[in-house]
Amino acid sequence: MTRSHRRPAARRGVLVALAAAAVLALSACGGGSDASSSADGPVQEGGTLRLAFNQDLFGNLDPNQNFWIESRSIDRNLVDSLTDQDPKTGEVVPWLATKWTVSPDATSYTFTLRDDVTFSDGTKLDAAAVKAAYDGIIELGPLASLGATYLSGYKETKVLSPTEVEVDFDTPNAAFLQATSTTTLAILSPKSYDADPKKRALGEFVGSGPFTLDSYTPAQSAKLTKRDDYAWGSGINKNTGAAHIDKLDVTFSPEESVLVGSLTSGQIDVAWPRNPLSEQSQETVKAAGGSVDSTVLPGLTYNLIPNVNGILGDDAVRTALGKGIDREEWAHTVFGDDYPVTKSVLDSTTPQAGDQSSLLGYDPDGAEKLLDDAGWKKGADGYRSKDGKPLAVEFVVVAPWAGWDLVQDQLKKIGIKFEQKVVTAAELTQNVNNGKFDLTASYFTRADGDVLRTFYDTSVVKPGTGPGAYAQKPDTAKKITGLFADEIKEIDPAKRKTIFDQIEKLFITTGSLIPLQDRAQIVAKSDKVHDLNYTSETFLRLNDVWLSK
Amino acid sequence: MLQYTARRVAQAIAVLWAAYTVTFVVLYLLPSDPVSILLNQAGGTSGRPSADQIAQIQSQYGFDDPVIVQYVHHLFDAIQLDFGQSVSRGQSVTSLLSENLPPTLALTATALLFTVVIGGGLAFLATYVGWRPLRSFLHRLPAVGVSFPTFWVGLLLIQLFSFSLGWFPATGSEGISTLILPALTMSLPTAGILAQVLIRGLDDTLDQAHIATARAKGLSRLRIHGKHALKNASLPALTILGLLVGSTVTQAVVAETVFSRLGIGRLAQQAVLAQDIPLVQGIVVLAAAIFVVVNLVVDLIYPLLDPRVLPHTERRSRVRTTTPTPELA
Repeated sequence: MTRSHRRPAARRGVLVALAAAAVLALSACGGGSDASSSADGPVQEGGTLRLAFNQDLFGNLDPNQNFWIESRSIDRNLVDSLTDQDPKTGEVVPWLATKWTVSPDATSYTFTLRDDVTFSDGTKLDAAAVKAAYDGIIELGPLASLGATYLSGYKETKVLSPTEVEVDFDTPNAAFLQATSTTTLAILSPKSYDADPKKRALGEFVGSGPFTLDSYTPAQSAKLTKRDDYAWGSGINKNTGAAHIDKLDVTFSPEESVLVGSLTSGQIDVAWPRNPLSEQSQETVKAAGGSVDSTVLPGLTYNLIPNVNGILGDDAVRTALGKGIDREEWAHTVFGDDYPVTKSVLDSTTPQAGDQSSLLGYDPDGAEKLLDDAGWKKGADGYRSKDGKPLAVEFVVVAPWAGWDLVQDQLKKIGIKFEQKVVTAAELTQNVNNGKFDLTASYFTRADGDVLRTFYDTSVVKPGTGPGAYAQKPDTAKKITGLFADEIKEIDPAKRKTIFDQIEKLFITTGSLIPLQDRAQIVAKSDKVHDLNYTSETFLRLNDVWLSK
Repeated sequence: MLQYTARRVAQAIAVLWAAYTVTFVVLYLLPSDPVSILLNQAGGTSGRPSADQIAQIQSQYGFDDPVIVQYVHHLFDAIQLDFGQSVSRGQSVTSLLSENLPPTLALTATALLFTVVIGGGLAFLATYVGWRPLRSFLHRLPAVGVSFPTFWVGLLLIQLFSFSLGWFPATGSEGISTLILPALTMSLPTAGILAQVLIRGLDDTLDQAHIATARAKGLSRLRIHGKHALKNASLPALTILGLLVGSTVTQAVVAETVFSRLGIGRLAQQAVLAQDIPLVQGIVVLAAAIFVVVNLVVDLIYPLLDPRVLPHTERRSRVRTTTPTPELA
């Protein structure tokens, strides 16, 4: 803030100085922008947006095949979906489809399509293209397993007319509508489905999105150019026509310090790390004139997953473990005072998520009593044991982290020995899929609670395919499966949310999942970037963004 | 000379074969299931492959054959430079290697250039300068260069030359400007080692009889240092340089990760963590090949620099054992 100089000059000079000071003060206070702020000044056209992620682990850019968050962010701007989802309300809104009807038993969906949409190679996007896409996803089989779960129970797609398409299921699928808004069920051109999936992974596919892919070098760079004739953006965007920026230049930088430094020195415009930026990094960004956007990703919370065939088969131990974690201290210590505290097994921005904080309170005394009553006696070293067996929980993970260390400390207070076993990603997959763990952790991003069913319904996740197969005792599993069967056929959103409330409560009270962290995403941008927006799943949306010179 | 060359080439091929076989055995014995790795690339933890989908992938990659059959089959392919398909990336190993090798070669070549210039220059200066305090300081400097961790040096250089001064980009693989900082990072420890060996060699050579003769003859100090002493002193340094080429390849892993460059080093790290057996094998054979070729070239240059080195093993080893080998930490 500047102070006006009081000179013995004309009153006019003083007034001008005061006005200038006021303008400067106001602009200094208006520092951080939020993701959906209105344009700061008139929108400027042109420019290349330079964005850096942490890494591209799988090198797969095919929207139907991948699940890696950064890849899905890039894809969101290359391909369109039948519907879009409002990030603020979770409501599914029209996009390629202008309207739809759903059968009461959630087995049949009929969509009416826009007739002005073309792929970037000029071919028309019509009902036949939609059929080719959904059939193509099913045909990919295990290479598109996420798409397969979104299309679970898929029977067939019928072309009723060039602009009318019907998707039928053998079993109810109430989560399908939200799934049609994802990049996973995006519509690629029919010719794309003739290409070898390996080539599609490297970017050889054609979409109808506001950008086209110039080049893609896995784990190194991706370059996108805008499509001038794009005119069918979803209504969620302010700009439904061609994008304002000319190009997107994506690179990957695993080190947080390099990411932040590249941003502050002007080498990139947006720094988008996978894990939340540390508080120091955020301060550095703001000090250099930039700003940060903080959004909570929807989907599965970072949950601790127990294996009930091991030491965590003891109900008292599982419940005590849940009570022995101080989630508020954890979130604020690991990430900072502003970080959200988890309220459920689903992140708070998931449309169906409820508030289960009353079940997640820190209760070390209650935990200790449960363990004492179950026969776990504290030894001289502070850790408990029963009949000579120590209360040691082996936690399998891919990298050491302060977050796990804090859990370790908190659990030590109630006498549980939390042992961290760090293994490579390949070993982790092997171990957790086959039940060789006591405890592990995982998350997944999807703006629909059905993601819980995909990973933790034991009728879906069989032993050998995921840790969720080992997390529930048989009678709990039966109840949970029954509830999932109810939610997947309930098309009324309010009723569906009520069923999810029961599901979440059941998971938490039986200790089948132990919520730890709501996942926030922190994106840093320079002061040249305006109106950078995110999808309902917090992926990149380039329709509105513009660069000031 | 011909006999010498033929024997060295045969040894080189034997080393390559051994490298391939050892990798194969070690990777085969690792407790992992390539099929589940492959499928998890596609579907994360939501993979639900059916029994015949698993069988299809197994036969496609040849995982269902007995070990010996797989070994012979793959060895045969390897000789034809076909290392199969990468399990973690959807490309053939050969195409991944050919994409990632040129940037690493460019980086390594630049790093070697910096090593020779910095290490050689420092060694020359350290032995040429007369003033005692500066002389001892320069003698100790290489040890400092060797002890800095590459990772830390890289980040420091980025902060200084990229973010503060803005002279060079912090990341990327295109253009000469992206080579400078990573090559400099990699060259500091190797320059230190080279300087140590060369300083020792120069100090020893300068004490020898023929140098005293040259001085008596009235040759300039510069000429003695540069022409007579350096030629002899450079022999052990050349051997070390051959070894340093190998270590530069491993240094490349760190430099390529810190500076986000395309390259074999980073590819190797990712392949190992993903237990991508075909890719790791391809990289190991490639690295072994480079190492072997470089050392072969060094061995063939030797006789040109010092005619006393005859292609007899005893004479050669006698010359070599006169130089102490520094710690290659």
